[in-house]
Amino acid sequence: MVEPSLVLYGAPYERAMAVLEETLRETGARYALFIDRKGFVLAHKEALWAPKPPPLDSLATLVAGNAAATQALAKLLGEARFQEVVHQGERMGLYVDEAGEHALLVLIFDESAPLGKVKLYGKRAASALAEITEEALANPPKLPLDTEYQEGAKALLDELLGN
Amino acid sequence: MSTINFANREINFKIVYYGPGLSGKTTNLKWIYGKIPEGRKGEMVSLATEDERTLFFDFLPLDLGEVKGFKTRFHLYTVPGQVFYNASRKLILRGVDGIVFVADSAPNRLRANAESMRNMRENLAEYGLKVEDVPVVLQVNKRDLPDALPVEMVRAVVDPEGRFPVFEAVATEGKGVFETLKEVSRLVLARVASGT
Ligand SMILES: Nc1nc2c(ncn2[C@@H]2O[C@H](COP(=O)(O)OP(=O)(O)OP(=O)(O)O)[C@@H](O)[C@H]2O)c(=O)[nH]1
Ligand SMILES: [Mg+2]
Repeated sequence: MVEPSLVLYGAPYERAMAVLEETLRETGARYALFIDRKGFVLAHKEALWAPKPPPLDSLATLVAGNAAATQALAKLLGEARFQEVVHQGERMGLYVDEAGEHALLVLIFDESAPLGKVKLYGKRAASALAEITEEALANPPKLPLDTEYQEGAKALLDELLGN
Repeated sequence: MSTINFANREINFKIVYYGPGLSGKTTNLKWIYGKIPEGRKGEMVSLATEDERTLFFDFLPLDLGEVKGFKTRFHLYTVPGQVFYNASRKLILRGVDGIVFVADSAPNRLRANAESMRNMRENLAEYGLKVEDVPVVLQVNKRDLPDALPVEMVRAVVDPEGRFPVFEAVATEGKGVFETLKEVSRLVLARVASGT
């Protein structure tokens, strides 16, 4: 299989969470997400004061799709990659940066967070997360996907989709 | 490959609905979205043109429930079937765990079915994958058309070796929709359990 399975757990996961937490504190952003390139959420953190976030699954999917399209555009222009992306509306903003080859950092912020800080600490966080990702990929855990799991999941499929 | 989040105890699988333009991929997802109860599904995201053709993808997350302490999720995607959207189509295939190929029974789409399958092989190859590496289910849709071709004729052009499980469907009425989804999910689960 070409695409490695990115699995975060234990110490690397705790470190990723610490990076997200610190980034929220330093930037004043509302939400920080660590997602893989396929659009799955690996870790996320919300500022204590922030309102309920939008659906994270949808968010991660759209960010990953967007990043994939941007990367394809860069390639077309003969660039290895484009820099981080910032989208800013009247109140809310979105910062997306590559955390290495397999993952992305997403920061969602409002007008109370200075953009300069978001970019500065966003960059730092992205490179810290890239390192954590490399480590996690080098030490894949044993997966709980045995036949017992398969049987259990099949039973739930029958329940959800009928026999 | 599936994505596993040990800390949140989640396992996610990615299933992609592939096939020629207008074959009914989005209709499959809409039907599923309409039938799955609240709490077992997330928001459906559709990136479409004004005339409802898929531009980038549709996305629907389904919550299977907890198995051995792990929340198990299926993320369903459709690709844009129109030929000129190939760049987007390729991107959606990244990290795919299972594929539903939605073929069209209309006589004037026979060739489009064949071309879409060839295109899928090419796009998988860009990720170093062969069709044989990924669980694929063939859905022959629009069986309600008065001039629908025989299933075997459609199958002959997309799967001449008869390798994939086949389901007949009328996606607009939900016929065959859950059956197809269930089969591809079972194949995906069987594959991860066998550790290949
Ligand atoms: N008669 C009939 N029409 C169908 C059936 N399934 C889908 N359709 C119709 O076919 C048209 C195209 O369906 P979509 O689901 O949008 O097709 P798609 O495969 O997503 O198309 P793209 O997004 O362009 O790739 C719509 O008008 C549907 O209502 C079916 O089983 N029978
Ligand atoms: Mg569509």
